[in-house]
Amino acid sequence: MSYYDIDAILTDSQKIPCTFELDVPNLGYLDNNAGHTLKKGTRVDLPLWLAEMLAVSSPNSTKPLVTVDLPPCLAPRVMNALKADPKSVDLRALAQHFYGLGSRILELFEEEEVCDVLMETFRTRAAEISDHASNAGASQRGGGGGVGNDGVEFLRGLDETERGLFRAAHDSSKSMRVWMGEMKKK
Amino acid sequence: MALPLQPGLTPMEVAFLCEMEMVTVIPRQRLESLNLLGGPTPALRPPHRAPIPLWLALLLKRQRRANILPPPWLLPSSLDSILKYETDISPQTFSPPPPHPYPISAQPAATDYTSPPFLPSSTADSPPDYLPYHWLELGEILLEACPDDIPDPDRVRTLLRDLREVRMAKMRASIKDLEGGGVSSLRGVGAMEVAEGRQFIVGVMDELRKLGLSREIARREREEDEGGGAGGEDEDEDMGFE
Repeated sequence: MSYYDIDAILTDSQKIPCTFELDVPNLGYLDNNAGHTLKKGTRVDLPLWLAEMLAVSSPNSTKPLVTVDLPPCLAPRVMNALKADPKSVDLRALAQHFYGLGSRILELFEEEEVCDVLMETFRTRAAEISDHASNAGASQRGGGGGVGNDGVEFLRGLDETERGLFRAAHDSSKSMRVWMGEMKKK
Repeated sequence: MALPLQPGLTPMEVAFLCEMEMVTVIPRQRLESLNLLGGPTPALRPPHRAPIPLWLALLLKRQRRANILPPPWLLPSSLDSILKYETDISPQTFSPPPPHPYPISAQPAATDYTSPPFLPSSTADSPPDYLPYHWLELGEILLEACPDDIPDPDRVRTLLRDLREVRMAKMRASIKDLEGGGVSSLRGVGAMEVAEGRQFIVGVMDELRKLGLSREIARREREEDEGGGAGGEDEDEDMGFE
């Protein structure tokens, strides 16, 4: 993750649920209660970068300022769905930078199972992406149905990382086809 | 990310590198030896065969001053047996690259590490039934430049397409068991195939490594804790800098 990487910045700005462990004066606007004290125990969605800072730094070294919970896109329900069939889950609807968020969360929590599920999901979906990427251009040219109906849905559900992969795979197979086509013309 | 160029080589660049491969020609006209940067070319005296770089051979062919002798592996019979190997005998792995032409003994020699395009893997006396490193691009270039020199060019073209399809399918299948550490085996994979698959495979491996990073760190810390008492301190210090 580089400092200027726009995807890293967007990943860090995704919100995750936090619970405040202290009363904070004048922070009520975070909870639609401007001008008042933010009560202890309030649940607020904070951007990942802020939540991480608050959770790690502790004012009086006994208790952290906030506790961070697992975001809804990594909830057990989603994990079960991913275990059942990685290809049918719309990751984009869950989080735009699903894997980025996942790996950042894994840095904070020790979740062996989430780690396993995410890696397995990514691997299965990557194979699917590569199939779609090499077929997409070819079938368009042939005038056929293009990507199948379920294929369109699958491609719409890709998160940003997977979109990048799709683009990479598609570009390289396209440049290959272009080269072979040029050979013919000469 | 700042550079518009992707890492790796484009197909055109791979084809350019492929033109350094040596091929055998049958000259139709005399040509004295040329002093090139890569060493002098043999003097061409018809009808004696001579090995010259592909780019020169293509030039002479275009000027109708030489005929190119296709390498033995580009003959339909050889391609047939390679395709058979890829589909029937070993449906999981790629067909092996040609054996190293210089004998490798216990004593290390300078030729041990010679690799394509400095190996004569596409001359007329190269071994049949093995796909060399530049098989795909060399095949395509020769089919384009001199279909009249290749016996049964249409069949060769079909066989090359089939081989490419089979091997691309294997490449895609290998993604399913990619680990963050590396690919199972790329032995026998050609330059063009590497160029085509590189971006995707590297992308997948990067992401897998990112996802597994926290676990990796935890494992290292555990090892460090356990190894701390066992006197493995040098190692621990090294890890600290990574």
